[in-house]
Order: sequence, then structure tokens, then C-alpha cells
Amino acid sequence: MTAPAAPEELSLLRLYVMRAVYFLIAFGEGSQVVPALFVHEPTARGVIPALLSGLCLLCVLGLRYPKAMLPLLLFEMAWKTIWFFAFGLPQYLSGEVPPTFAEDFKAITVGVVIMPLVVPWGYVWRHYVKAAGDRWR
Amino acid sequence: MSAAAPSFWRRGSEEVSLARLHLMRATALLGVWGLFATMQALFVHDPLDRGVHKALIGGLWLMAVLAFRYPLKMVPILLFEMTWKLVWLLAFGLPQYWSGAGSPRLGEDLWSIGVFPFVCAIVIPWGYVWRHYLRAPGERWR
Repeated sequence: MTAPAAPEELSLLRLYVMRAVYFLIAFGEGSQVVPALFVHEPTARGVIPALLSGLCLLCVLGLRYPKAMLPLLLFEMAWKTIWFFAFGLPQYLSGEVPPTFAEDFKAITVGVVIMPLVVPWGYVWRHYVKAAGDRWR
Repeated sequence: MSAAAPSFWRRGSEEVSLARLHLMRATALLGVWGLFATMQALFVHDPLDRGVHKALIGGLWLMAVLAFRYPLKMVPILLFEMTWKLVWLLAFGLPQYWSGAGSPRLGEDLWSIGVFPFVCAIVIPWGYVWRHYLRAPGERWR
């Protein structure tokens, strides 16, 4: 007789939802931002394309390790939420917007809505808030 | 002498050594401190600022706070730091440096971005990455 298996921390459905989002970031967002690494103004500063491409590349690992790569999803949620409240929403309400606004607002607001549904909050609470920190001595 | 006895420098039976944990925490603290100015810019900025760059840095700042408490769980963020900065160096920094014509902030960025992939490469616990992010079996599919 084998010992009963430990209860799984995340449902299979949750793992698939997370994987779908890693896939969307890696390949959907990736197909938009990675070309800018190769074709751009010779004097472009390049910080935004580099940041987004780095995220897309690492999200490939999230397909195999959706739980272990969770910090990437938290980061994705964090920066989009920050943008929405610090830039997007105030600009939308004031009616004075930068030229890139329409495109940014659409792409980022989708993330602000979807990410809180994707992140496994119980797991985050147990492992990133309540769990003891790594040892100090 | 037991090979499994952990010391400050040796991980023994632990995942990483204490020295490594302190180094990772120091890096997280450097991030919290270094990116703090950008956090302030989230509240006071040009009304027409695009804001994507500042928001991304703001997100990283929050992750650095978490990494101070959970350095090992936040390794993906260190990997991300190394990757995007390396991507920047290869796609923008070095080509512009070699061509002699770069963005007005190239000199500053070469220091604040271009140097960090090497710092990350030293800080990242590669044995841990190998065991947990490459060799470990993936999460279940069914």
C-alpha cells in the first residue's frame, strides 16, 4: 500500500490558467516586443523593449514551472497596476494624454483586469507573506 | 568532517550558503535603495509622461522588497534582471558604444544597466537555479 499523496497546492485548472498566461506573455507579447531589439532607431534608448523582452524570454520557463516562476506574474501584475493608477487613469480622466496612450492603455489595462484572476492568492499568501523568510544565521 | 555540515561559506545540506543568502539580500537592498527615486517619480511626474519605464521600475522595486525576505523564492526576478540587462547590452548598449552614436543617456545607461548582468551573474546561486529551474521535474500536466 502506498502512502496517500500529499494534497496538491494548486488545482490543475489553476496551473493551466497560469501556463496560458505565461504562454501569452512569452509568445503573444514576445512577438510584439522582440522584433524591436533588431529593428530600431540607431540612437533608441531601448530600456523598455529590453525589459519586456527579458520578461517574455523568462516566461518560457513558466510553462514548465508555473509555480516556481510566480514572481514573474507578480511583477507583471505589479507594474501594470502601478502604471494604471499612476499614469493611465489620471491621464484618461484629465483628457491630456501622451501619443502612445491609446495603445498602452488597451494593452496594460487588460493585464490589470486579468492578472488578479490568474494569480493564486492563497498560494501567494502562504508562500510569499506568511511563510518564514529565508534563514539569517 | 561531514560533507553535509553547513558553514557560513558552505551550503552543506541547505539549498545555498549563508554567505550567498546575505549577498542576495544585499543585492535586494541595493535595488530597494537604488530604485527609490523612481518610486517617488510615480507620484510626481510630467502629466504627459508615458510612464511605462517608471511603472516597470516601480514593479521591480516591490519585487526587491519581497526578495529581501525571500531571496530564494525570488530568484526568478534576479534571472529577469540579468536577462533584460544582458538583452539591453547586446541589442542597444554595445552596438551604440561601438558605432559611436548612441542615445543621449548611453554613458549613464552603460553603467546603470550594462554592468549589472555581470553583478547578477555573481549573485545568482547557479547550483540552485540548475537544481530547481532546469533539472527539477516540471509541474504536472494532468
